[in-house]
Amino acid sequence: MNSAANPDIVLNIHNLQVSFRSIAGTTRAVNGVSLDVKSGEIVGLVGESGCGKSVTIRSIVGLVPSPPAIFEAGEIWLRTRQGLTETLALRKNMRALRQIRGRDVSMIFQEPMRSLHPMMPIGRQITEGILEHEVIDPTEAYERTVEMLDLVGLPNPAGQMNRYAYELSGGMRQRALIALALVCHPQLLLADEPTTALDVTIQAQILDLIKDLRERMHMSVLLITHNMGVVANLADRVSVMYLGKIVETGAVEEVFKEPAHPYTQGLLASMPSLFSEPKTNLQSLRGIVPELAMAPQGCVFADRCPYVMPQCSETPPLVELSAAHSTACWLYTGADTHGPADDSASSVEAAPVPVLGNRNASPGQPQGQPPQPPASDGIARTASDAEETIQLQIEGVALHYPILRGLLRRQVGTVRAVDGVDLTIRQGETLGLVGESGCGKTSVGRLVTRLVDPSAGHIRFRVPGGLENITRIAQKEMKSVRRSMGMVFQDPLSSLNARMNVRNIVGEPLMLHKMARGRKVDDRVGELLELVGLRAGHQSRFPHAFSGGQRQRIAIARALATEPDFLVADEPVSALDVSVQAQILNLLLTLQQRLNLSMLFIAHDIAVVRHVSDRIAVMYLGKIVELGNARDVCSRPVHPYTEALLASIPLPLPGFEASREMPKGDLPDPANPPTGCRFHTRCPYSQPLCAAEEPILRAQDQAGGHLGACHFQDELQLQGVEELGKSLRA
Amino acid sequence: MRTYILQRLLQMIIVMIVVMVASFVIVELPPGDFLTTLREQLTEQNVDPKVIDSTVAMYRERYGLGENWFIRFAKWAWSLMKGDMGYSMQHNRPASDLIGERLSLTLWISVATLVFMFIIAIPIGMLSAIKQYSAWDHAFTFLALLGVSVPSFITALVFLLLSVTMMGATSVAGLFSPEYVTAAWSWAKFVDLLKHVWVILFIVGLGDTASTIRIMRAKMLDTLGEPYIDTARMKGLSSAKIYFRHALRVAINPIISSIGLRFPQIISGSTIVAIVLTLPLIGPLLLDALRGEDVYLACSILVLLTLALIIGNFLADLTLAWLDPRIRLES
Repeated sequence: MNSAANPDIVLNIHNLQVSFRSIAGTTRAVNGVSLDVKSGEIVGLVGESGCGKSVTIRSIVGLVPSPPAIFEAGEIWLRTRQGLTETLALRKNMRALRQIRGRDVSMIFQEPMRSLHPMMPIGRQITEGILEHEVIDPTEAYERTVEMLDLVGLPNPAGQMNRYAYELSGGMRQRALIALALVCHPQLLLADEPTTALDVTIQAQILDLIKDLRERMHMSVLLITHNMGVVANLADRVSVMYLGKIVETGAVEEVFKEPAHPYTQGLLASMPSLFSEPKTNLQSLRGIVPELAMAPQGCVFADRCPYVMPQCSETPPLVELSAAHSTACWLYTGADTHGPADDSASSVEAAPVPVLGNRNASPGQPQGQPPQPPASDGIARTASDAEETIQLQIEGVALHYPILRGLLRRQVGTVRAVDGVDLTIRQGETLGLVGESGCGKTSVGRLVTRLVDPSAGHIRFRVPGGLENITRIAQKEMKSVRRSMGMVFQDPLSSLNARMNVRNIVGEPLMLHKMARGRKVDDRVGELLELVGLRAGHQSRFPHAFSGGQRQRIAIARALATEPDFLVADEPVSALDVSVQAQILNLLLTLQQRLNLSMLFIAHDIAVVRHVSDRIAVMYLGKIVELGNARDVCSRPVHPYTEALLASIPLPLPGFEASREMPKGDLPDPANPPTGCRFHTRCPYSQPLCAAEEPILRAQDQAGGHLGACHFQDELQLQGVEELGKSLRA
Repeated sequence: MRTYILQRLLQMIIVMIVVMVASFVIVELPPGDFLTTLREQLTEQNVDPKVIDSTVAMYRERYGLGENWFIRFAKWAWSLMKGDMGYSMQHNRPASDLIGERLSLTLWISVATLVFMFIIAIPIGMLSAIKQYSAWDHAFTFLALLGVSVPSFITALVFLLLSVTMMGATSVAGLFSPEYVTAAWSWAKFVDLLKHVWVILFIVGLGDTASTIRIMRAKMLDTLGEPYIDTARMKGLSSAKIYFRHALRVAINPIISSIGLRFPQIISGSTIVAIVLTLPLIGPLLLDALRGEDVYLACSILVLLTLALIIGNFLADLTLAWLDPRIRLES
């Protein structure tokens, strides 16, 4: 092991091969992975779900149960306090593994709630780890735990010792888990999607914390994530993994600036960024990640690669592009190639990403010109505010839930999930609604479709024949209104009935509204399936036979079955992999343009929302805090919360440090929102006035198209992201 | 926590009152009463009709049987609270005499069955989960399914048959050897009881033990798949600490909360076994009382069993609240 002999190396994985045996046969989940982590370095391992990332890092610490796993080949060298240790051979030696776990290498997991023991106080969970590895007085262990909790930024650390996981917020739980992992000062931290389950502002805090702790504790981090932005933000080097193989490795700056492997290029191009032209087609990878057993021979990416060539049926060699950048692709071997990247690295620099766009529309996806953003200058908007162009208008809509306590179920409080929201969606317009979990954005979607009854306010919706007040009408009357509404939900699997075939799922609204019967249903369902890029012949299949992205297409077809004018899309892409997410966004944009749909697009990711929306409404604790043209909101935010949301998004720009102050702390309890401006507890610009008086949503510019709810929106110079991107690119 | 306990106590009192009324009404529902039965009995014995009439009239007066059911209920409920369970008209003895020893034996055996069940089922279920798909797991899966599917009276009959034919036993049934049945309680009688009781525990508890093994195994498997078990592994803890300190605490919850429900199951389940093995338990007595429309006896037994059930449930819930901080919070 020449590389492991280097004293600088903390972890060296060499040619790891792991297979899983099941009834269906043996599949190789990890296929020859080699990886180094140097002292003090953060290495990112990125890839979509099912590519073998988790198996790789779990193999390091013996957390992959065998059977069913078979470790076919490879070595994993880990620098421990005993010197270099080959951990793969230790997997049957529990005693040796236990000495390494927690002391030389630790791990944090994706779901902080489920990763802490639900019935044991936080403090005891942490001291338990110390007492396991060190002969130490329990009071000393207690003190060290308090110190550690302080170090990870838990307020009042001594007071947290006796609290339980469910008493902490998501961000606090992840901090506690990090304290638990680092309390014995391991040299290496394995982080498995550590921020995926967290809100963006909390994610930004945790990423900062990991960076900070790396310096303070002199440790290395191996980070798994599917989010390229997180890697760019945190990692020094990155390895891109696809179907059990590492396709590209390099310093983060190089990989993001000049992605070499077509898969890396595709991943980067699929992400809706805050600099892209909104409402244009994203350059998505075609197809989906195949089942492991179906992986192509040779280069595993060949069936989705836009540059595929005959050589790709053989396994590509690892090509060194520079000292710190290598990729496994035939494009760079210098052999005879035909394709945009001829024979030298220089052609790679020629922005390979746009080239990709010509060839990569997914097979069944409707072709055509990218939709043009509608004219949205101030004058046009004022004119279009006229009554006849309104599709949906809600005024002062609220949704309050009582909190009942005690023997007699007395009402002791109210959760104001939605607390007085005004919105207007015009015909053919997409309104994006963005906010963190618990802000009430999903409730707004459920209110406008009358899935829940509003506690106050008015909802007016355009049906054939004019605007109708649907706030209080009976569900019976609502049925005919629903014909003009469609809804797409977050989880495509649980929102499709697993016991109905596609024909019945998509055809049910047609039959319910007596729009078609018998053969005609089949014909219409076939049309709808083709509209969303599926085959008409797949009608008799059941949802489980489709991938996540295809299921979301089915859900979209169902929502469009009755030819609605209005679509509510509630987090339609957040459960999907990046490449599939881009395909679904493209589909929604194309359909909206073609069918002249109005859309309420609800999501937590402001980059995604900006990409599909004409206007954006930013929501915080049941209130709209900012509303305006999508690009204006992102480039010139007027509310500090919008600025914070924008600043929190990890951009795929390595080396870029957000200069702005991040929002402090956690989301307040919606049952007990702060007085005055609800954001003042977290706002970096907070003044005494903010706690005393609640700001109203008011116009920022003359045209009246950009509204904000901040007392100081006229004075504050908030920073958007678009200009920032331009200046960085320049 | 104090409000929680008070709340639960209040609920228990409400449940008791409802059960007392309901059981009384149900027992009174069928046409005819104890006097009808008595009259038939006496007629069959060819007693002089005049004597029959006077006997019936005497009973009617003594127990207020001719009066409104509500008054009868009030009389009975009031005396029950004073500890007087009324008089068994069938057995011509105070109900408390009949119930007393049988009830304590029944409760004793039920609790012992529960303990027996936990001692057997929890380790087996845990091990089956830890060594999933091993020979051990397969063997106990088979045995547990067998235990769940064979009714306990069949087990009892098979046991009787085997002990008579193979071991030549003469006194297999009953809780005591013949010489101790009527003897006063003594050390020797207690030892004799211990000799007999394990068979009863095995027969009565088999079905519940088997289902508890399955629940324990499933819950343990769920728990072992949770990320916090990975967290515990990554601390470097030994397997024993992971299984007992981390996994067992969570996995055992549904079993503790089921204690309250198991209790009546065991009592009613033991009735048939008690009939087959002629055990002096409360089940057969209740059955007799119900068939003979022995109102006071039946109602007293029902109320006492309900009391035992809700106290059992209460204790199970308190244990759960003590073990699980999340439940403490909700209360």
